[in-house]
Amino acid sequence: MSVSSPTSSTVARLARLLLDCALRHWPEETRPWGLALAAEIDEATSAFETVRWSLGGMMFFARAVLSGAWTWLKLPAGGSLPGGATGPSILPKRSRMFTAGTLVVAVLLLFLPAGREAMRMVRASWQGFQQSNSDVRAQKELAARAEKKKDASTLAFVALGTSDPKRAAALTERAVALDPELIWVYAAKCHGPNHDPPREQWLARLQLADPGNAVPYLLAADALDPLRIRPPYQHGILKDAELEVVESDSKWMGLMERAYGAPRYDGYFQKHYQLTRTVWNRERNLSPVVVLSGLRSHAIPNLLSLRFFAHVRIHKAQKARAAGDLSRAERLLGEVDALGTRMSDGSEVKIEKLIGMAISRSADKELADFYSNTGNAEDARRAALRVEQIDERARSMRPGHDPATRAQAQGFQWEGMLVQGFGTLGVIAGFAALVGILLLELWPWRIRNAKTIWRRALCCLTDYAPATLLVASAAFLMSFLPFQHAFAEYRSFELRAG
Amino acid sequence: MGLRIRLSKQTLAVLDALLCRAGQWQHGYSLSQSTGIPSGTLYPILMRLEKLHWLETRWEEAKTPGRPPRHLYRLSGTAREWAREEIRAAQEGHFWKPAGNEV
Repeated sequence: MSVSSPTSSTVARLARLLLDCALRHWPEETRPWGLALAAEIDEATSAFETVRWSLGGMMFFARAVLSGAWTWLKLPAGGSLPGGATGPSILPKRSRMFTAGTLVVAVLLLFLPAGREAMRMVRASWQGFQQSNSDVRAQKELAARAEKKKDASTLAFVALGTSDPKRAAALTERAVALDPELIWVYAAKCHGPNHDPPREQWLARLQLADPGNAVPYLLAADALDPLRIRPPYQHGILKDAELEVVESDSKWMGLMERAYGAPRYDGYFQKHYQLTRTVWNRERNLSPVVVLSGLRSHAIPNLLSLRFFAHVRIHKAQKARAAGDLSRAERLLGEVDALGTRMSDGSEVKIEKLIGMAISRSADKELADFYSNTGNAEDARRAALRVEQIDERARSMRPGHDPATRAQAQGFQWEGMLVQGFGTLGVIAGFAALVGILLLELWPWRIRNAKTIWRRALCCLTDYAPATLLVASAAFLMSFLPFQHAFAEYRSFELRAG
Repeated sequence: MGLRIRLSKQTLAVLDALLCRAGQWQHGYSLSQSTGIPSGTLYPILMRLEKLHWLETRWEEAKTPGRPPRHLYRLSGTAREWAREEIRAAQEGHFWKPAGNEV
């Protein structure tokens, strides 16, 4: 029904139009009252009265809508207001208000800072800690903000974490240009199959900046030809002919010699760790994938090259010993032992420590044999003792060697399973609640014609899935607390000097 | 009288206007004019009174062609007595005074 009247001013016509419009959307249960009000508008004697009557009608309309919404919320999902379409004959027990309230509380819990961190972490674990598009976007935004603020450390952080080699190179250059102290970043970016090796000029600059460190030389040697040591290792035994081929590569040999002669071994892991911690403290909403991607791909020198060169040295020492040049043999073995010790003591990366120990062990074993054959029993005993100490240390580094550490790891694993379990339950409950509510609200006539068992199942879902989601969300948050504490500890951990 | 509602000053004014011409049917616009209550307040009051069966309503066919039917209202027989009592009580308690007597 529409309101029509011959008259009058534009304002009065607009007022009638407004009321007409409201009538079209008037809630069914109070619609006759809306019609009654609208029918009286033609009695207004002036444009002002018409507008006043129309505005009153709009107020009445707003009250009717709110009252209708309130009544609708008190009905269960799928229930319709008097005069509305007929819904399913079986309805859930809980009202829409209860369901919506439960869902809102569950969502609010998940959007607490701890909830967001938990969701980011679990989502990252479900993605195998691989960078998603949103992680790449977050990195780009972070880099853009850092560029604006000329924040070298954040630029270096993004450079170390990004999987785009060109972007990484550009960001590295920019970070080092802004803060030359960050020159170590040249050597910390992994140059795996998807990455370009560190540029020659970068490593040259790093060698100049940090001449006493073995790592820049080792990385420069790796950059020459990473496949160089593969053929000799294919059969496990080093032959003289192969040794000659390797020794003829003077550039590689020169770099390896300098690395073996350098007084320090620093893979820059501590600096990288400190940088990550600093940026994560500033940017707490970063996904753990973004935070840890740089550390996970921290560069280490080619460990096979290191071992191979140790074998070259030991082989040379054996040849010198056979030729009667005992002092040269002892010096060569001592240099190998010293590099292994520097590596195992100076590195924070377990595999580097283990390789360093393996290198030391080879040299000490050879030294023990050397001393016992040259009649130096005391030195032979000391070298043999060092071999035993290295073996013991290697055993202690095996996973699960220490019962306390093993128990702690098992506890963490169990807590991780709880987080994953409650996360999965939450996802299932959320999905079930959504399906139940949408089916009942959007297709009530279809549900009405469905089998009774399906209708009952749907009502059950709508009644219990939101409450399950709420419980799962709370449990998810609680079970994540130990990890949240661990992250907080990581962020605030005071690093030892170095 | 069945269900009771909290009687606001506006409700009392509407009851008073309906009582003035008890037994006669009245239009919403004339009620609004006589009480000075705007349409947005008047109709929710009428709606509530009708829900409580204190108000009788009917539709009247429009006298002018093209116009919609109009709604008419009057107090039901039992409601009239009750409304008088409520108005008297409100006046005695100085809660409400009829139009023209309000301070």
